[in-house]
Amino acid sequence: MAEQILVVDDEPNMLRLLKTILMDKTGYEVATTNNPLEVSKMLQEKPYDVVVTDLKMPLVDGMDLIDIIKKIDSLLPIIIITAYGTLETAEEAVQKGAYDFITKPFRKETILITIKRALEWKKMQKELAALKKQ
Amino acid sequence: MVFRFLRRFLKEEVDEQTRLRIKFDHFRRLLENNTQALEIMADMEEKLSGDFLFDTVYLQNQVERLGDNVSRLVTELNLLTENRYPELRSICQAIQEDLGRELITTPAIPPTPFVLPLSALTREMASSVGAKMANLGELGNRLHLRVPEGFAVTASAYKRFLEASDLEGELAKRLAQAPIDDLESLEAISREIQTLVRQAPLPPDLDAALKEAGKAFEGRPLAVRSSAVGEDTEFSFAGQFATLLNVDVGDLPTHYKEIVASKFTSRAIFYWKYQHFSVEELPMAAGCLAMVPARASGVMFSLDPHAPESNTVLISAVWGLGKYAVDGAITPDLYRVSREPGQEITEQRVAEKPVALVSRPEGGTEEVVLDPDKARSPCLSPDQIQQLAAIALKLEKHFGHPQDIEWALDDSGAIFLLQSRPLRVSAPSFAAEERESTWEPVPPLLRFGIRAAGGAAAGRVFLYLRDEDVANIPPGAVVVARQPAAKLVLVMDRIAAILTEVGSPTDHMSILAREFRVPTLVEVGGATRVLHTGQVVTVDADAARVYPGLVPELLEHRPRPDEDLRSNPIFQKLGRILKKATPLNLLDPESPEFEASRCRTFHDITRFAHEKSMDAMFALDVDQSLRPGACSRLRTDLPLNLFILNLGGGLKVPGQSWVTEDDILSRPFRALLRGFHHPQVTWAGQVAPDLRGFISVFANTMYDLGKSEKGLGGKSFAVITDNYLNFNSRLGYHFAILDAYISEEKNDNYISFQFKGGAAGVERRERRARLLSEILDYLGFKVQVTGDMVRARMVKYSLLETEQTLELVGLLSAFARQLDLALSSEAVMARCFQAFKDEDYNLSFLRPEQRAT
Repeated sequence: MAEQILVVDDEPNMLRLLKTILMDKTGYEVATTNNPLEVSKMLQEKPYDVVVTDLKMPLVDGMDLIDIIKKIDSLLPIIIITAYGTLETAEEAVQKGAYDFITKPFRKETILITIKRALEWKKMQKELAALKKQ
Repeated sequence: MVFRFLRRFLKEEVDEQTRLRIKFDHFRRLLENNTQALEIMADMEEKLSGDFLFDTVYLQNQVERLGDNVSRLVTELNLLTENRYPELRSICQAIQEDLGRELITTPAIPPTPFVLPLSALTREMASSVGAKMANLGELGNRLHLRVPEGFAVTASAYKRFLEASDLEGELAKRLAQAPIDDLESLEAISREIQTLVRQAPLPPDLDAALKEAGKAFEGRPLAVRSSAVGEDTEFSFAGQFATLLNVDVGDLPTHYKEIVASKFTSRAIFYWKYQHFSVEELPMAAGCLAMVPARASGVMFSLDPHAPESNTVLISAVWGLGKYAVDGAITPDLYRVSREPGQEITEQRVAEKPVALVSRPEGGTEEVVLDPDKARSPCLSPDQIQQLAAIALKLEKHFGHPQDIEWALDDSGAIFLLQSRPLRVSAPSFAAEERESTWEPVPPLLRFGIRAAGGAAAGRVFLYLRDEDVANIPPGAVVVARQPAAKLVLVMDRIAAILTEVGSPTDHMSILAREFRVPTLVEVGGATRVLHTGQVVTVDADAARVYPGLVPELLEHRPRPDEDLRSNPIFQKLGRILKKATPLNLLDPESPEFEASRCRTFHDITRFAHEKSMDAMFALDVDQSLRPGACSRLRTDLPLNLFILNLGGGLKVPGQSWVTEDDILSRPFRALLRGFHHPQVTWAGQVAPDLRGFISVFANTMYDLGKSEKGLGGKSFAVITDNYLNFNSRLGYHFAILDAYISEEKNDNYISFQFKGGAAGVERRERRARLLSEILDYLGFKVQVTGDMVRARMVKYSLLETEQTLELVGLLSAFARQLDLALSSEAVMARCFQAFKDEDYNLSFLRPEQRAT
């Protein structure tokens, strides 16, 4: 089954751009929302493999979103997209449990590689958890 | 006496040195700002390549930084030249304001009367009355084509309405909550907002203005339609806002509010939120036009958007009012007419049009059933078809872009124009992907229809039979409907394809489908009977085929993502900004047109300021006979046209108009010259048959090539002291700066090198930048490449190391000059790099005659 990516950004154009790039020759299935309040509902309805989210959004801050997501699925990798010059906040997000961050503007390949790594990381975590159970 | 003379002489000497040093400070600051401005422009150009993602914050930051740099550059130039170019300040400010307007999402509403007659409108008034009414005014008043009588209710009236009714804040709040992905909530919010608008009273002055304007139309039916500011520009908003047909002028205030309310239908909210318009945007102006008693009406495109290469005008026509042609409610007649002189009709596809929409005597419209003969007969005579095509071409020529035109024909056969707006035309590559329609990978389920939006896609069928079903359409669905529905815009970002049984490529849904790149076929008779919900199909819109299951061969024909990226509003905004900031119009400093007043872009200003700062710094802009010794020229066997300004200790004998290399004391300059004189470097003859080719331009920027390049201002400039060098060169599009300091104090030593430019294509320019960057990196520089700009810096090396590196930079320039057509590929680029590392500075591998010996 295709990997499921959820993209959250309050700027619809950015959502469109990300969706276009993530779906080009990757085989990923991409869902988008510009309303971070919807994220927990979306995660409960259907499992996702990676969440890509903007850090600065009006309704829910990306930082709070990390908490919300981690409560629902602690192994779900979250990739933070952040504006240039907010490095400290991005590092804080990673400490909070985000998988990695990307600074805008960024190359298309950067996000594709980061997602690929995040998917591998998730797979590894799952295998690890399975081994522990044995 | 002698002592007094010497003191005065020495004092003057000291004053002159101080003055020069101050001048040089301005000069250096100018260069810094120049470099930064060029770097920002290179960075923004790079972002347009489609390889990067960026947002509006990035655009705002870069435009602001660029404006600051250029404005500081202008200040420094005026300080350097005793304010010789004051006009540059206002030019710079005007460009900055212009770019600022591109970034502002809220257009200012011009203070006009609430109502303006159509006879007073021209296209320039789009910000007051919306493009739809402004263009219609243009057709009547400038092109003298027939348009209905009427008037516009302006954006200023809309502003007044919202302010007086206190609606503004309330609407903004509710709109901010409208989710574009949750259709039910979106519908609910849309209903609430529309009710608020309908219930709000019009302020008395606006009410009075509407009634006064309506007086001239008493007893005559009107069409009242939206003309939002921002509508019909590059976003079509096709069919998103209301049009009220055959209404009574007595109810004008109510009708007006209905038009305003239509700004907030769920599909309109979705569309403009999706296209990233902000709440304050799209002030809703309206048009009130006398109804044309239409015998037939329709739409025409001055160029077939799906086959631009066919060079035809596309006309659709229905009986009665044009709404059915625009909505695609019935299949219209389709006519194709050659755009070549003579306007030959190349295709007439007369459809069966069983019904027509007509005005009811008591107001409003009704559908009437036509007798079978009329239903099957063409709406237009060949003569009328050709007349329409001629009008379409005239409008395209006038507006400078293919047009999407609504027209009506009255009983006397007179053609009225109702609207003209820019048409979205497919990229040629899109059309070029059209395949032989005879090739069928498997037997198709359906093999007919008209392509409304090209491409191929697969998904599960969803039968869309009622408007309410829109919320139930799952992502990835192939939507199959009886007739086109502009409401499908609500899901166009997530569905795979659309098939409708009737319709036309000129209807609103088709326009939107092209905008969203959803493969769409119209007039696929029987689609709702043949296909059933849940069935997986592949739609090949280019060949008008629907296949069962997945056909992977076809799905590879998805639109290229780059096209998608570039159609994104952010990319388009960047494109518009770059068009205003980066084109270089001032190319030749020797031309009489190389004047401050002719600077039109930031790039022009940087180019102009750089050139004039050189002249000012080296006093080339004053009569040399009045300022003897202001700068010296170098007598050398190198092909250099070099001016030297000595700030102290750089020359054995200061103040001479000509010096030789032996007269130079400046350590860094001597090192650079040693590099130029490297024994393996041949300067004269047979180095490059194409000196303008590729990397040789790098060297050209530093070495004047003599007469052939003189016209492009091929001078080089060196500002020197005993341990400092600023070497500056500019030629045509390219420029390079070398700045270096060498002393016994290791911590003070540095070399800074910048290179930018090229008239070649982006790929070649970037390859050149990469090669330079690799070599400079190899030489120990810290290198940064942005687009075609290279910045390299080396600091805190010892005197000897810095001096040796400078020598190598000189050698690199000479080395680079010998590359002619070579760098046409990555492989040769790698070999050139290797040659430099192997100290094969004369590139013997490129010289067959040397290999032979």
